[in-house]
Amino acid sequence: MAGEVALLLCAALLVTVIAAIFSKSISVTIIMLFYASIVLGIIFTIYQGIVIGLVHITTFAGAVSVMLMTVVLMTGEQKLDIGNRTFAAIIATVTALIVAASTYSLFSGAPTVSQTISPPPVSILSFIWMFRQWDLLILIVIFAASMIGVVNLLSKEAKE
Amino acid sequence: MITDQLVFAVTGAILVFLGLFSMFYSRNLMKTIISFQIIVFGANLALFSSGLGQTSNLMANTLVLFSIVVGGSVEAVGLALIVLVHKAYGTLDPWEIRRLKH
Repeated sequence: MAGEVALLLCAALLVTVIAAIFSKSISVTIIMLFYASIVLGIIFTIYQGIVIGLVHITTFAGAVSVMLMTVVLMTGEQKLDIGNRTFAAIIATVTALIVAASTYSLFSGAPTVSQTISPPPVSILSFIWMFRQWDLLILIVIFAASMIGVVNLLSKEAKE
Repeated sequence: MITDQLVFAVTGAILVFLGLFSMFYSRNLMKTIISFQIIVFGANLALFSSGLGQTSNLMANTLVLFSIVVGGSVEAVGLALIVLVHKAYGTLDPWEIRRLKH
């Protein structure tokens, strides 16, 4: 039986996301997204993903929310025009089905990992530094590339 | 039997669907970036749920960390592009931008 905590947190996550999607104001959308980021970070933290929970909250509830608010301040409150709801539902359903089918066909033939060959549990704060050094380097390169891209885009705007 | 892993996987799938729906439903570039963020949330939750119930969930945690950094980076670049588009066209409606371009 699923824990009540998991159900409660998932319900809170879905409610905040639905409120963010169907809100008429972009500011309310950003605030709801902020709450959704915190709820997701709490889910990660409770289920033994303390590092990724903290990184998630820092990135999405911190940096990305501030960036979104800054862009809203720069561009002003835009009118949120609404497209065709039925068309969007059909397209989203078809896309989700294609993604689900391709994911299933990708992983259906994968061998199941035996519990005996799993690496032993390690302390929480050492997982990525002990096992995945290259991943950390790649992450730093991706982050640096995106920051250089943003600086280039905005400096080009300043020159013009 | 309903487990925590199943609840998180289903919630992740619903979030991905909601993000896709919102992406096609809205006519605002800011809302498109926000929809992308919701899709990233769903993907993160689904990846995280895949590591639950195992002795070690290092691979799932690493993939989620990867997804967080890539998602945040893409959103930063997208928001910078939105600022440029707004300066150039004065609107964030993609249909209006397409009309002004021609």
